Order: sequence, then C-alpha cells, then structure tokens
Amino acid sequence: MEIKHSHIVLDACCVLNFCASGHLIEIIQSIPAQVVVTEVVRERELLTLQRLADESNEDTNQFEAAMGKGLLAVTDFNSESEEETFVNYVFELRDDGESATCAIAVHREWAIATDDKKAISFFQREAPNLQIISTLAIVRHWSETANVSSATLRSVLTAIRTRGRYIPHRNHPLLGWWEDMMR
Amino acid sequence: MATNILDNIDLRKLGELLQQARKKSGMTQADAAKVIDAARTTIVAIEKGERRLKPNELIKLARAYGRAVSDFVRSSPVTEPFEVQFRAAYQRNEQEEARITPIIERFEELCRNYLELEKIMDAPIPRNYPQEYDVNNMPIEAAAESIAIAERQRLGLGDGPIPMLRDILEQSIGIRVFYLNMPAKYSEIYSYDEHLGGCMAINLSHYEERRRWSMAHGYLHFLAHRRKPVVDFEGQYKRIPESERLAEAFPKYFLMPTSGLLSRFNDMYRTHGKFTPTNLFTLAHYYGVSIESLVYRLEDMELLPSGTWDRLRDRGLKVRKVQQELGLEEIEHRADILPIHYQHLAIEALEQGLITEGRFADFLGVDRLEARRIAEALREHSSGMLEESAYLDLRQA
Repeated sequence: MEIKHSHIVLDACCVLNFCASGHLIEIIQSIPAQVVVTEVVRERELLTLQRLADESNEDTNQFEAAMGKGLLAVTDFNSESEEETFVNYVFELRDDGESATCAIAVHREWAIATDDKKAISFFQREAPNLQIISTLAIVRHWSETANVSSATLRSVLTAIRTRGRYIPHRNHPLLGWWEDMMR
Repeated sequence: MATNILDNIDLRKLGELLQQARKKSGMTQADAAKVIDAARTTIVAIEKGERRLKPNELIKLARAYGRAVSDFVRSSPVTEPFEVQFRAAYQRNEQEEARITPIIERFEELCRNYLELEKIMDAPIPRNYPQEYDVNNMPIEAAAESIAIAERQRLGLGDGPIPMLRDILEQSIGIRVFYLNMPAKYSEIYSYDEHLGGCMAINLSHYEERRRWSMAHGYLHFLAHRRKPVVDFEGQYKRIPESERLAEAFPKYFLMPTSGLLSRFNDMYRTHGKFTPTNLFTLAHYYGVSIESLVYRLEDMELLPSGTWDRLRDRGLKVRKVQQELGLEEIEHRADILPIHYQHLAIEALEQGLITEGRFADFLGVDRLEARRIAEALREHSSGMLEESAYLDLRQA
C-alpha cells in the first residue's frame, strides 16, 4: 500500500473499525504516513469508543492510548478557509465528522481513510487528486508488513465484524480477500 | 463549492436555532459573547438574524453549546414550528412546560427527519386521508360510533379486533406514529401540518393496550379536528371540551365495535352458560384493550351490570397476575420509537450512499456502534435480498 501523501486522516468509520480490531496501535504503526484524526471526530466519537472499550472489558481506551503515545495526532482547523470549507461541506453532507475530515484533507492535501459510501463519492468529486484508502486495505497492509499469522488476521477481521459490526460492501474491491481470510 | 453557505443561509432561522441552543446549554448572551470574543450586543444581533456569522464563530458557538454544526446549517424547514402550534394548545404551568417541551421538540425533530428522509429517497409516505368528519351539533356517543363504523368500513377492517393498530395508522392511512418516553400522566401528542400530515407521539412507557387507546384517541383528533394540536394528559381539564369528549368516546367503538363484541360475548355466554372473569380476560386480550375499558364497554352495552368494574377492583383484582396465570401473552405490538417506514427509508438511504453513516446514526438517534447494529438487523429484515435486487421494480419486465 503506497500512500502518496505525507499524512492520512482517519474518519470515524475507520477509527471505530481499528478500535474494534483490538490492534489499533499496531495497525497505525504500520501505515507509511503520519496518521491523523480531526478534533471534530475525536470529540463526537469518544463516547462511542469508550462504550466499545467497556463492552470489551479493555482497561484503557486504545484510541486515547494511541493519542497519548503520539501515534495518532489530533488536528483542528488552522485557517479561515478550512473553517469555511468545513461549514460548506456540513451543509451538503449533514455530518460534522466527515465534513471536517474532508475539509482538512482537501486544504492540506492529505490522504483520507474511510469506508463511507456517501463520503467516498463526495470526496472523489471534491478532491479527485486525494487518495482514499479503506479499512480493509490498511488491515491487509498491516498483516503483510507485520507478518501477521492467518489465525491472528482472522481473529482481527472477526473482531471488526462482530464488535465493530463492519461488513464490506458487496462491491468492495477487497471483498474476495476478506471472504477468503474469514473462511 | 466556492460560495460561503453562511452568505446564503436564512439568518433569522439560524439566529433562532443558535438562541435555542444557547438557552438549552444554560449560557447567557454574555457567556456566548466571550466565546467569540465579541460584545454581548453582537450575540443579540446574531440571534435576531441581523448580523452575518463567520464560519469560525459558528464553529466556536456550536462547540460551546455542545452541538454539531449540522444542527444549525440546514435548509429552512417548510413546516410550522411545533412550539407555535402548541403554544395555545393547552394551559400549562412552568413545571409542566419544562417537562413536556423537550418531548415536543424531539417529536418535531423526528417528524422533520422523516420528511427529510422522504425527500432524500423521493418516497413520500402514501396518504389515505379521509375528508374531515363534520361533527357539529351531533350527540357525542352517536358521532363517535358512526365515525368508527365509517372508518372501519373505509379501511376494510370488518367488525373484528384490530391487531396492529400502529401499522394500520402508519401504512394504511399515512400517519406518522412515534413512541416516545413521556412522564406517566401524558398519553399522546397529536399534530397536523400540511407538509407533514398527521403526526402522533404515544407514550412508550405505557402498556400496549393503553398505547392503542391513545392512538385511537389521537386518530379521532385527526378525523374530526385535524388542524387542532393536542397534548393529552390526565387532569388537564376542569371542564372537558366537546372535542375531547368525542376523542375519548371514539376508541371504544373503534377498537370494540358493537356488532362484533356483541356476537363474541353471546358466543361465550352460550358456551358456558355464564360470563366469567376468564372470559372477560380472554375477550380483552382478543381486542387488545384493557380489562377496565372492556368492562366499561360491556356495562354501556348493558351486557354487564353497572358497577362491575368497581366491584372487581374492590375485590383486589390484580390484572397482570391473572393474565399471567391464564397464560395470556403480551399482545402483539411493535414498540420501536420510530415508524417502520422511517427506518426503511434510513437504511435504504445509507445503502444507496445517499447519507453518511454518521447521519444515519443521527436519524436513528443512537451512536455509530448502535447504528451499525440496527443497520444489520434492518438489512436482515429487508428480506435478505441482494442489494441491487432490493430496488428492482418487479412490475418492469
């Protein structure tokens, strides 16, 4: 997996999937770019991620641990034009998290990690030059670079499926790979 | 997307929304002014819609009020605010106001969401509305029974029980029915708007028998006083108005029609040579009404002596306990907060990539994780068909 940008912004779907995997930190470490999440997503999804951690009896919330270790940087708008773009995107998407992710990525020319159908079509239209990467592409990349055993990979994908309740869309380019790994 | 949306938005509406959010968060205008480094008069002007906001100011205020920017940046609703509709609907003191206002606001938000989903999916709720019934100068009981008979006939319900009243109101008539948690003394909120049509919120915390009664009660308001919003709660009136007496009389005729009830009562009486408490409980369960409502109805029809309910109560009748002993299960119902059509529109919009997952969660009023769980259940419920085939027009060759 090649990332053509210096940074990659994770949207809320991906953050939730990686936290559900139980291997957020290792997965992030394998990404060949600085991994970022917007302040809007952090603020809005923190409670959900805490609920996920509680349901899994995790002592610490992986999301906060990753931020604490500096592996996951939190970023906020740093110019009026970013803020203006964000508000304009909110009007169209009616979703603060995806709008913030896209506005920041567009202005800073960063890659985006998302699985959201609506967000993907919007990003492709607004910023066709930006790379869009999915949860499965990142997990596959991690499994290859870290030589993860097929049993571990299966348990990670199963955790994303059961705890995160994520199933790839039937037109997902990695659906075949996911099905093979889940077998 | 070059233009700034804040240059084109309805500033007066935005100001109103900001003012409501500020008040809800417990902040004063002076507090809000500090958030954006401005004078209090600037907040006054913003809330009056007289001053344009910069994106940065909107973001800061939304964060300070604990709200999403998407709560403020949206197309102006075409519907009349419920607050205006209900302002004159009933007398209430400050304490009541504080209890019911958040519920009315939630009800309004859900109705607006419903309309938005219909627009996104281009699938307006099918309406099968009758003309408003003219009840002027009619005796109340006769009017209630004649409307009940006419509606049963119109809807093809015969004279038997109505098992899934909520589904009939939602799907056969096109009324938006939400189940919301309310304080126990409230039973139903009814509203009508040209764009939204008939809308009801029913108290989720009541038993289904009572909810069915409240739905029938609200339905009469729709049938006979369509444009009059109603908040129905115990002890509301010193002198009950005629419209309310009619609405209170209607459910017994609609849920327990005279001909059907008489015939079933006679069947039971003939079989056993008497009408026992077991018969009473079985019959109430059959019609999906409370024991008390059925006894009063049978007393009215002179099939039971008057005072029967009082005697049963004085003997310490424990309704739930007897129902359990008789093995009468809870009557069939769907206690979801949201109407089924609403849920299907939301999942279809998500599946077709017309809304984001975050927006889907907002429509369902849950967090993202719960939204995924519901989405999975709805997908399974929608027949397990392949995604593409779910949207096929089966009438096309």
